[in-house]
Amino acid sequence: MSSSPSGTLENAGSLFASYRGLERLHDESVTHDGALRPDWAPFATLLEELGPDELQARSENARRIVREHGITYNVYSDPEGADRPWELDIVPLLLPPHEWQTIELGLTQRATLLNLILKDLYGPQELLRTGALPPVLVFGNPAFLRPVHGVRVARNIYLHLHGTDVARSPAGDWWVLADRTQSPSGTGYALENRIVSARVLPEEYRQSQVQRLAPFFAAQRETLRALAPKGAENPHIVLLTPGPYNETYFEHAYLARYLGFTLVEGGDLTVRDQHVYLKTLEGLQKVDVILRRVDDTFCDPLELREDSFLGVAGLVQAARAGSVTIANALGSTLLESPAFLAFLPTLCQRLLGEELLIPSVATWWCGQAAEQRYVLDHLSDMVVKPAFGPVAQLPFFGRNLTKAAREKLAADIRARPFAYVGQEQVGFSTVPTWVDGKLEPRGVAVRFYAAATGDGYSIMPGGLTRISGQSGNPVLTMQSGGSSKDLWVLSDRPVAPVTLLTPSGQPATHTRISTELPSRVADSLFWLGRYSERLESTLRLLRCLLAQLSDEGSAEVPGELSALAEMLVLTERLPKKFAGRIPFRKLEAELLQLVYNPARIGGVRELVLRLRQIASTVRDRLSIDTWRILTQLQLDSKTRAGRLPLANALNVCNTLILDLAAFSGMEMENMTRAHGWRFLDFGRRLERAYNLADLLRASLFVDEKSALTSVLEFADSTMTYRRRYFAELNLGSVLEVLAADRTNPRSLSFQLDRLQDHALGFPELQSANLSATVPQQVAALSTKLLQIQSNQPADRARELLKELLSEIASDLSSLSDQITKLYFCHTLSVRIGARL
Amino acid sequence: MIYQLTHTTTYDYLEPVSLSHHILRLRPRELAYQNCFAHAFAIEPSPKRFGAHTDYYGNRASFVEVAEPHTQLVIRSLSKVRRKVITLASPHETPAWEHIRDLSRGIQLGAALEASEFLFDSPLISSAEKFADYASPSFPKGRPILDAVLHLTHRIHQDFTFDPEATAVTTSVETVMKTRRGVCQDFAHLQIACLRSLGLPARYVSGYIETLPAPGKEKLVGSDASHAWVSVYCHAHGWIDVDPTNNLLVSARHVTLGWGRDYSDVSPVRGVILGSGDHTVKVAVDLQPLPYDGTSPLRAVIE
Repeated sequence: MSSSPSGTLENAGSLFASYRGLERLHDESVTHDGALRPDWAPFATLLEELGPDELQARSENARRIVREHGITYNVYSDPEGADRPWELDIVPLLLPPHEWQTIELGLTQRATLLNLILKDLYGPQELLRTGALPPVLVFGNPAFLRPVHGVRVARNIYLHLHGTDVARSPAGDWWVLADRTQSPSGTGYALENRIVSARVLPEEYRQSQVQRLAPFFAAQRETLRALAPKGAENPHIVLLTPGPYNETYFEHAYLARYLGFTLVEGGDLTVRDQHVYLKTLEGLQKVDVILRRVDDTFCDPLELREDSFLGVAGLVQAARAGSVTIANALGSTLLESPAFLAFLPTLCQRLLGEELLIPSVATWWCGQAAEQRYVLDHLSDMVVKPAFGPVAQLPFFGRNLTKAAREKLAADIRARPFAYVGQEQVGFSTVPTWVDGKLEPRGVAVRFYAAATGDGYSIMPGGLTRISGQSGNPVLTMQSGGSSKDLWVLSDRPVAPVTLLTPSGQPATHTRISTELPSRVADSLFWLGRYSERLESTLRLLRCLLAQLSDEGSAEVPGELSALAEMLVLTERLPKKFAGRIPFRKLEAELLQLVYNPARIGGVRELVLRLRQIASTVRDRLSIDTWRILTQLQLDSKTRAGRLPLANALNVCNTLILDLAAFSGMEMENMTRAHGWRFLDFGRRLERAYNLADLLRASLFVDEKSALTSVLEFADSTMTYRRRYFAELNLGSVLEVLAADRTNPRSLSFQLDRLQDHALGFPELQSANLSATVPQQVAALSTKLLQIQSNQPADRARELLKELLSEIASDLSSLSDQITKLYFCHTLSVRIGARL
Repeated sequence: MIYQLTHTTTYDYLEPVSLSHHILRLRPRELAYQNCFAHAFAIEPSPKRFGAHTDYYGNRASFVEVAEPHTQLVIRSLSKVRRKVITLASPHETPAWEHIRDLSRGIQLGAALEASEFLFDSPLISSAEKFADYASPSFPKGRPILDAVLHLTHRIHQDFTFDPEATAVTTSVETVMKTRRGVCQDFAHLQIACLRSLGLPARYVSGYIETLPAPGKEKLVGSDASHAWVSVYCHAHGWIDVDPTNNLLVSARHVTLGWGRDYSDVSPVRGVILGSGDHTVKVAVDLQPLPYDGTSPLRAVIE
């Protein structure tokens, strides 16, 4: 190391020279007089060596990686409904070894304590019987789930993953702000933050001796395996997600892949004979452990919230029967109620015989007379929160309330005192943050994680570090637009590299990587194939039209173009009014709508959005590169019309066709030839065959020569045709190339051959009769195709041809329905009840 | 008194249902004054899995899974119940209602702890000032609790109209308060809302009432159906049941299935099916008093 690690280092460099903390608040990196803290000095020196320009470049690099990895966070209020890229500040928060040891002990104690409280409240309730806790905290708490009271959990672990939100007080001590006991989010984001920060600051990361995160995840995974019900030799673990519309869906998909668990939605699971099963293409497969990211009240419409579509009917019964381990245990949310914070010091004494190591931020529960009075007397200095109910609900900051609002709040507290807590409004410490080319202080809070290990807890040496959007804003949630940082827990000795893929001392076969395909996923992959092909065919048609349009200057649409337009009307891609001769301007306007207007159904942008939505439901099945292509596709589709709308539209079509080629190339070259790929490719082939049959049929109704030129162009077969037939265009030869030629990857018979290959490889269905239906249908289609080839297109034969093509198209549609019915059918559960 | 009880729930589905799960709370609870000495289920199609447990409130709950395609599900519950007459405290002997309210504040121990389970908002019942306002004329200062509760029961019976058309399972207590119409479930919820809004623990009781009219008297409402009423905590006198639908103290003609905070805790039949959901449901209840002669006409069905 070239720098001096001395704590008395002068802030000589340009980055820290002008950096100051905020008045009356603790700054993580500098003291009140602006001197670097000793623990930060070596790292600060390294940053100074980089200099502002390089730091800026690395910061941009980090942003790019975040976008390319597709790290996102869904924001409910976002009108586009799209995922928002994750925000990561490049300067990490540092925690020195001595401080970390204290925090580690405190977090272990806290998780142990909370687990004991859950064990008591969902068991003997001694804490209530002896008056250690007032009953309203439990009985009046909607998060107390009576149906799971008395349900035994493996090794008495209720809290498998505990998240603790912590911030540093002005005096420099750490305070707990809140406990996350439901199914704390953020471990996946913390891991991604680490990957990005270690990549953009590699030398700094290495020299700082940062503790690794991987062992924490390995411990979490091993514990879940060990907690599987007895008899499960190679336990099957699933990660239960509410689905792609959840704010942290990215993380669910990411963690599932990282930990090797199957990502499932409630509809993928079913309870039979008091066991939980995953519905896969190959049938029902038993599930031993559920890592849940669905809120506990939503987990079972039979015994918990009956209006939930996210859960599994009978899950509580399965838990009761001990056939499945659920992490965190159902009912764990109870301890997220801030009212418990006020009781933890005494509960810690009582249950562990110890002082609570990390204090909570001062909390007064209004259900006690003295506390209520105190809160009411100090309302303007308080943060008032509902004692129960959703933690996500925004608190009242007494200071910011109008007089009327404050009086209303006071009246509400008096009416239902037990439903409120007051908390001291604390000033968080600040941390240097890279903003507009310089370091600025930003408020910081950290979520630490504890994972149960069976005989205690393992603490993640790191965490999700969130910083406020502006200095002075006390609200730190990603929902309200803050940013995040990596947290570097420093070690006083060199750190050995670890990866999750090779747990030390364990045979590689130990880890079960999920291979089964949930029916829902097969369904999505099938439609992913169909939509990518639908988008491509739309783009190809648009490109034909746009190219011809830009060549013409006349006000009336010429013959060839008008023939193509008419075919598009016949295939219901354009409205009826475009049949016949139409003004140039009108057609142009319509095409531009199809390219640029996101609201236009069947338009390019709508198809891209749909494709992206379907892809996001199978995100854990797509490689990072595939996802990157899809992200690029969406970006490329969003161009503006500009001053040359027509030329620009043509460009967009060309670019997107190339993006799609990259997508299908990725699929062909990188996807394992398992059922997932089969269904994706089946969807693509079916869609391609359908579009071609449909378009060929339409071409028979319009001016032959113009139509055939366009169809060849559409099917990317113009070159093939020219090489093979020097003669003029004629229907017979075109059919030879586009229908009969088994070697042309764009021809009908090529698609049917592929469909047959796939159909024969589909999973066995319960009845052999059913398994045969798809291959039979495809074979029937091939027979029809043969009839076309034997029919020379004399005028009489032309009618027959129209009929055959139309039949092929509609048979393909029914084939799609058949696939859905046979393989993907997963009807929604419906709750029924009897009226008195 | 011995009762023979048959409770039949019939679901007819428009389209075949491939899987259904039900939780049944249909077995009459054991009580000091009630003994269910024989009970059996007859379910068609026969369930793949049948599990029973005691729920949080001590009611018997059964888990039923039917895993074959079916278009009709018939759940028959058959019981024989011995119901004793009990002597209740006379209303003026019970403590002042404020005494019960104050017992339920803050830390509670013993029986009062269990009572406090029924003091707070529950899925279908939230306390509100309007309920307290409606109840307060029945609760002047110092009035014995049972006296006050009976007065309230009487007023609900007078002010509210029994009307099966007016409400559905999902009708809220607020709506019932406004429209002043409903069925036994609604009246029970309403009275519980009133009592809890005053700070008094009250629970929802699910059960049946014998409907044979006494000579010269009107036939009681609630015949041939499930019934529901209210139980109120009277400290040393335990829980005392009142029936706002019939303006009665609960008598030997009531058979108790179980209790909870509101209907959602103890609905006799609750289910989730895999299917389109279009269905009709019929419930038939038959409560027959039997002269007890030591033989059981139910022996044929009860194993």
